[in-house]
Amino acid sequence: MKWSGIILARLILGVLLVFAGAVKAFNPQLFAYELEQYNLVPVPLIHFVAITLPWIELLCGLLLLTGFWVRASAWVATGLMVAFLAAVLSVIVRGLKIKCGCFGTVGTEFVGWWHVALDAGLLAMAVWLTRHGKE
Amino acid sequence: MGRTFLRAVMILLTGVAVGLFVNLWSPRAIPLITPPRPVVLDRQIVPLDEARQLLGIAVFLDARRAPDYEAGHIAGAFNLPVEDFEAHFAAVAGLLSPTTPIIVYCDGVDCDLSHRLLARLNALGYRQARLLVNGWTVWRAAGLPTTKGAAP
Repeated sequence: MKWSGIILARLILGVLLVFAGAVKAFNPQLFAYELEQYNLVPVPLIHFVAITLPWIELLCGLLLLTGFWVRASAWVATGLMVAFLAAVLSVIVRGLKIKCGCFGTVGTEFVGWWHVALDAGLLAMAVWLTRHGKE
Repeated sequence: MGRTFLRAVMILLTGVAVGLFVNLWSPRAIPLITPPRPVVLDRQIVPLDEARQLLGIAVFLDARRAPDYEAGHIAGAFNLPVEDFEAHFAAVAGLLSPTTPIIVYCDGVDCDLSHRLLARLNALGYRQARLLVNGWTVWRAAGLPTTKGAAP
């Protein structure tokens, strides 16, 4: 039971991270524009984040899918999800009406509670994997 | 625990390294340091009242992405997504000349797609281009003509 839960959590997190990473890695300029709308990252650093973050997501997702270094990648995924959760919550608190940009051009809806729910769910899976996934 | 932490740091560093490396060679590479936001002068801002009178005279260019444009735009406006300028410019180039009045807009007070589009047009010599701040929102709020769908 626990074993199948681990597989399921790895699959869901892995697929979403690979997908989110790949679409953004393919178009860093677009991601940079989306990131700018959040007004969270200092402007000079926006491009650096847009260039590197998608590849961290992609790598982390691939490790979760293939089962190498599961706990370590689960810790990275935890960090990513905490950051994403904080970002979408800050958007809601500030009342900004911006696109999520989470999956590049796929899904152009505005940031809302749906994103909070998704991130919180993924965060829970990631945290659980840091304790129960194999080394 | 120590080993897991080390591996997590390695994942982060590898991601950063791959990203930087790909950005060296990718045709979609962007500068490592974000270029400053283009400066728009006061005289390049067009007030809503004036923009309204220029409907049918000026060329309106919507700087947003195609799905946003198709969901609704200023009547008669053409789509020139600044994120994909090269691919879309040819379609509207025939309408423009250095003396054509042009109005660019996007949506949202913080939206700077139109700022970037204005900078691109200015660089190409289209000196009569001006910017309608928060264009789509203020235009709609004023009850002015809008349409939906692909480019006219």
